Amino acid sequence: MTGERPATDGGSVTGDEGRAVGGESAARRPAEGGRLGWLFEPRLLTVAAGSLVLVVAAGLVQVSFGAYSMTVRQAWRAVLDPAVLLDPRWFLNFLLGEELMRAVTGFRGELPELARETLVVWNIRLPRVLVGVVVGTNLAVSGAIFQAVTRNELASPFILGVSSGAGLMILLTLVVFGGLSAFLPLIAALGGSVAFLIVYAIAWKNGTSPVRLVLAGVIVGTVFTSLQTGLFFFADDIGVVQSAIQWTTGSLTGTDWEQVRMALPWTLVAVALSLAGSRQLNLLLLGEQTAKSLGMSIERVRFALSGVAVLAAAASIAVAGIVSFVGLIVPHVVRNLVGSDYKRVIVGCLFVGPALMVGADVGARLGMSVLTGADSQVPVGIVTGLVGGPYFLYLMRRQQNMGDL
Amino acid sequence: MSIERANATESDGSSGANEPAEPSESRAATDASDLDAKDLVLSYPTAPEPVIDGESIAAEPGAVTALVGPNGSGKSTLLKGLANQIDPEDGSVLLDGSDVHSMDTKALAKRLGLLSQESTSPDSITVEDLVYHGRYPHRGFFERTTAEDAKAVERAIDLAGCGHLRDREVGSLSGGQKQLAWIAMVLAQDTDVLLLDEPTTFLDLHHQMEVMEIIETLRDESEVTVVVVLHDIEQAARLADRVIALTDGEVRARGPPEAVVTEELLSEVFRVDADVVQTEDGPRVTPIRARHEK
Repeated sequence: MTGERPATDGGSVTGDEGRAVGGESAARRPAEGGRLGWLFEPRLLTVAAGSLVLVVAAGLVQVSFGAYSMTVRQAWRAVLDPAVLLDPRWFLNFLLGEELMRAVTGFRGELPELARETLVVWNIRLPRVLVGVVVGTNLAVSGAIFQAVTRNELASPFILGVSSGAGLMILLTLVVFGGLSAFLPLIAALGGSVAFLIVYAIAWKNGTSPVRLVLAGVIVGTVFTSLQTGLFFFADDIGVVQSAIQWTTGSLTGTDWEQVRMALPWTLVAVALSLAGSRQLNLLLLGEQTAKSLGMSIERVRFALSGVAVLAAAASIAVAGIVSFVGLIVPHVVRNLVGSDYKRVIVGCLFVGPALMVGADVGARLGMSVLTGADSQVPVGIVTGLVGGPYFLYLMRRQQNMGDL
Repeated sequence: MSIERANATESDGSSGANEPAEPSESRAATDASDLDAKDLVLSYPTAPEPVIDGESIAAEPGAVTALVGPNGSGKSTLLKGLANQIDPEDGSVLLDGSDVHSMDTKALAKRLGLLSQESTSPDSITVEDLVYHGRYPHRGFFERTTAEDAKAVERAIDLAGCGHLRDREVGSLSGGQKQLAWIAMVLAQDTDVLLLDEPTTFLDLHHQMEVMEIIETLRDESEVTVVVVLHDIEQAARLADRVIALTDGEVRARGPPEAVVTEELLSEVFRVDADVVQTEDGPRVTPIRARHEK
């Protein structure tokens, strides 16, 4: 705390000094806690720590319970099994896939045996938690960027048509071009990008405006959602419809290391780019006129940042389908907790997004069996919708004017 | 407050002279930047008629030029045109001879600053962070703040007299305090030309005076070329070296305040009968009644 902001404990004093010796105060800010000083801010640290605890707790519940029951102690031991963690072959086998692992390590033989618990946890349950983390991160970052770019706190990949574009393409693939389902993630990303381009084109009229972007998003979203619903009538197999519904409501059921491998690289790219762009995001929040008069090429920056947001959204839609409300709510929560500085907002999203997603997935996976005793799961998108709706209602009642950021 | 500011600028001047970064001969020899608009035609996409139809104005280098006129006379539009915020349909704006429209946006922002009439910011940003945004054009994409940025920010905060506010959140400030913070931001931009759009409107008397004093300091102690849109004709007369009066997008009069602010002009441009008395501080205007004839 003290190291972080020496400026605070003497605002007026430093002011006087600054006047007396113009040069001395100059070094003040860069020295302030070093390059990453802004990270060590009590509110942000609290949010990060709280979210981590939630993720770990929810993750532990996820790996402990299920068809093959084990105690929490056993689950812990399986997660931290040195046979995996300390053996790069097994570890890379999970993280990179078998082929890449063999290429990296040059290992040709059989992998050593693992305990049954370890296999269950590492093969089936842990990847699902990790996919939840990745999806939560992506959706939160995507929503945060979209909200700054449109200067509208109601914006999210969902509102801006990205999700419905991706959803439509997924349905088309499943119902009409069944043979292409191996490329589902790519096709989803393509659909999302195309939808966003259409939205941008509709909104464009000597430049775009936040309101026009949101309205265009609603228009495109409505049309695409109708097309989605229409497609159901052409499905000849109830199984296809069910799988389609799973995609369009968002689900982590059956996700595996393959999904982790698929989404993780894009996630890292999107997160790095959004952190790099956080200063631009901050400037966008000062309004178009100010940003322009400070020399920002508004449309170029907006378009590039939107591209990052589409990338993040597509990475998550490709592995989990359209999970509603996460991209809308997480940036909101984070902003209320850490303030509006986008450097902190993005970092906060990296923690709160996974916490919400992994927590919601506990409800999706185990909720039904606790409530009704039936051994069935619901798509996680239903849980996030059920949690997100009321939270948003609460916000709406509490805040006088919502929308403008 | 005013004494404080006087001190501030005094030491500012001295530290400026000691600075190795700013060669003193350039300071002595500087010709402050000039900003020339030639046959400017400005219009909005929504309006059929151009707001400004072929006007030429020149800002006096290193001095304060005030744009005055009734509501809807096109002063703010003209200012936005000068700042390259509106693309001109015809004509050009030249900053030291080069067309602002063809300049790189960041390069332009290093030399020309604009304070808009209404500025919005997130409530939770601190004044200091806001002022740091003024350094945007001076920084590369990945660059962090440098000692030079910090120095410019200190100078701007001192000059705007908002040092006591630096750690406050903008959302917690009064309208007048906010305006000081925004002025500090645009000062931190460290430009040769500064365009201010109605900086005193909606402020209480104290903060109006604060803003006027900042502009006076800029006029007296720096080479900055200032163009300011003002609602209050008396303020304009007191502050400006040159006054340009507009009605319906046309320049009606231009020149030193004593020549422009006259009873005839007030009746013609502002449609009021008024007494104008020339004093040491410039003309003093006493409005009597509004004129109703067309």
